[in-house]
Amino acid sequence: MRKNRIAITGIGIFCAAGKDVPSFTRNLLEGRSAIGPVDIFDVSPFPSRIGAQVRDYDPLAYFSAKTAGELSRADQFGVIAAGEALADSGVKDRCSPYDIGVSMGAGAAGMLQAEQWLREKLAAGKGRPSLLRGILPDRTSTAIVRHYGLGGYQGSITTACSSSATAIGWGADLVATGRLKAVVCGGSDAISLLTYAGFNSLRVVDPEPCAPFSLGRKGISLGEGAAFFVLEDAEEAARRGARIRGYVLGYAAVGEAFHMTAPEPTGAEAARVIAGALEHTGVRKEDVGWVNAHGTGTPLNDMVESKAMKLVFGELVGKVPLVSTKGLTGHCLGSAGAIEAVATIVSLTEGIIPQTLNFRGRDPECDLDYGHEGARKSSASVALSNSFAFGGNITTLVVSR
Amino acid sequence: MTSPRTEIVVTGLAAVSPAGVGLEPLREVIGSGVSALRPIPPELAGREGYLWGRAEGFKASDFMSPLKARKLDRCSQFAVVATGMALKNAGLDPAAFGATRIGIVLGCGFGGIANSEEFLRGYMTNGVDGLVPMLFPNTVPNAPASNASIEYGMKGPNATFVQRFCSAEAAFQMACRFLEEGRADIMLTGGVDELDPFMIEAFRDMGQLRRFADGFSEGAGILVLEKGDVARKRGAAIRAEVGHIRTVGSLLPGREGEGIARLLSGTGNPAVVSLSGVAAGMPCLTGPLGHSRILETGSLLGRSLAMGGLAMASLILSAPRGASALHYGASPEGPYYAIDFTVS
Repeated sequence: MRKNRIAITGIGIFCAAGKDVPSFTRNLLEGRSAIGPVDIFDVSPFPSRIGAQVRDYDPLAYFSAKTAGELSRADQFGVIAAGEALADSGVKDRCSPYDIGVSMGAGAAGMLQAEQWLREKLAAGKGRPSLLRGILPDRTSTAIVRHYGLGGYQGSITTACSSSATAIGWGADLVATGRLKAVVCGGSDAISLLTYAGFNSLRVVDPEPCAPFSLGRKGISLGEGAAFFVLEDAEEAARRGARIRGYVLGYAAVGEAFHMTAPEPTGAEAARVIAGALEHTGVRKEDVGWVNAHGTGTPLNDMVESKAMKLVFGELVGKVPLVSTKGLTGHCLGSAGAIEAVATIVSLTEGIIPQTLNFRGRDPECDLDYGHEGARKSSASVALSNSFAFGGNITTLVVSR
Repeated sequence: MTSPRTEIVVTGLAAVSPAGVGLEPLREVIGSGVSALRPIPPELAGREGYLWGRAEGFKASDFMSPLKARKLDRCSQFAVVATGMALKNAGLDPAAFGATRIGIVLGCGFGGIANSEEFLRGYMTNGVDGLVPMLFPNTVPNAPASNASIEYGMKGPNATFVQRFCSAEAAFQMACRFLEEGRADIMLTGGVDELDPFMIEAFRDMGQLRRFADGFSEGAGILVLEKGDVARKRGAAIRAEVGHIRTVGSLLPGREGEGIARLLSGTGNPAVVSLSGVAAGMPCLTGPLGHSRILETGSLLGRSLAMGGLAMASLILSAPRGASALHYGASPEGPYYAIDFTVS
């Protein structure tokens, strides 16, 4: 078990469900879904034409024209959210920049701009090279490091939809081991044609707003955005008078070793990661207030995740709601884990268990408490957040208020 | 930066590289000093004089069925084959050892890019009818490590890093930590990257062929790490012990010396030093090395984003027994790594 307690001293978020923590909190509390029309590129050929796109976004409200031109959409989201978290923590003024690092979870990253390069290349034989600048998912971490002058660490975890959950766990570990005094950890991702067309081609996108754990659900709604925590050693943070927003107690991240896209159907592997996270942190099952589900809204994920809950919690399962916030934020892929970790901490702080939106009816194969009826009050101090990914890369984070 | 509190040893190595498939071709290239890089066809590079390092000796069909080869992207093919070789080299059967106690963390470079390009090209030229769903799952950079875990049933910790020229070093650091924490008894780590002709076109457009992409290469370099007591208990041959790992995220303008000092902190007098990424072009790293023998794998095997795996494997292969060895990995905008080994 981890010896050093790791405190969350800063939170930042920038996504379709809120462009900062206060607006995200309002939308989370009110259960206001951000899923709507997508117009970032032509979606008319696809069965699903919706998503949680960041709307009314003007990069020049945040960056100079030069900087905006150098950063992909995902980089920009990341820099903005990381900036909010850093400002919230105030840690930059308190230690050497070589003691602060960035642990990033990334997904499609700057693919949206790279797609434009390919389009130009196919049409005219040559594309604008600047469009390729952000094609690799590590670019966002470099943008954050450069923008805020951080020198301690730079690492980008790229395990698709579990990237940023693992990045938070790893970030906590970098602080716990004494390698860093503070870490900016989380993730950023942007909707791209690659992911939009890709998930549509696999027929796992719901034409209507995603309805996790509901009867007749047909799949995901894609989303985009960024979210970050600043983590510090709890004792050090308390000593410097930092406002502690919660704690990252630990995590587990394993490979199912089953299939590249399909979850292991009995839920045993998902149960293993959830149980592993509890074991790693020493948290008892009865102390878990709820689980923020991966809860994508695909028929298979929601059924398997429900089975895993039963395997882990046994007779207690009825007392541990499994809620998905993807009806609010969409599935933000590389940043999903971080956005949902923020949703979990905000909910713990506000004393609620959030609602799973877009209920369509009871699915007999999903027979747990999913919080479809609405947000409810809770005095829980600990919650889990699951993130499952292509490749069977599954992660569970344990956080507390 | 901290050193491992747990004794961590290297018990297996594997390589797929421009030198060939396996450790022997790698050893030959390092020993002879004859570069395995070849000229990029001028019609691709735009002019003569540029080099690349394709793993020409690698044929997926030598190792897997055509159906399986078709399902895997090139990076995943490298990773699956190299992982199998590494397990064999370490004398390991994951199922017999305990599947949940063996994990894998790889650094990946351009893995998934080729599938992404092909998938998008299909759509852009033929609309939704041109979409090939089978290509999409392997557009993610974790496909190589995940496909390897699926192939060999390794259910322990699993992650992938993409971090510039230090992708493999980032993975190595995490793998060591997972062993320290007891999340696993054995971790496979290293790097994998691929090089496709369309990438050369993109490098050319970006002007990178004149900079970091000249001599770009592909392949996989994998190391098997385990706790010393685990290795001894199962009678594994120990090739090296892992020492300190130091990393700096970026060198801050005006305060570069402070970052370099952190990176060099504790560096002794290593007999052999491997230089990966852009480390060879950093006098602040190479200057203090004195009489150390330098192993610059970039000029021999080429440079890739995950070349640190091959460089560390080369270092352990070529250092004399009992020697202290040091690996430097560096990226143009960070991060930077220094990893100490004692070769057995």
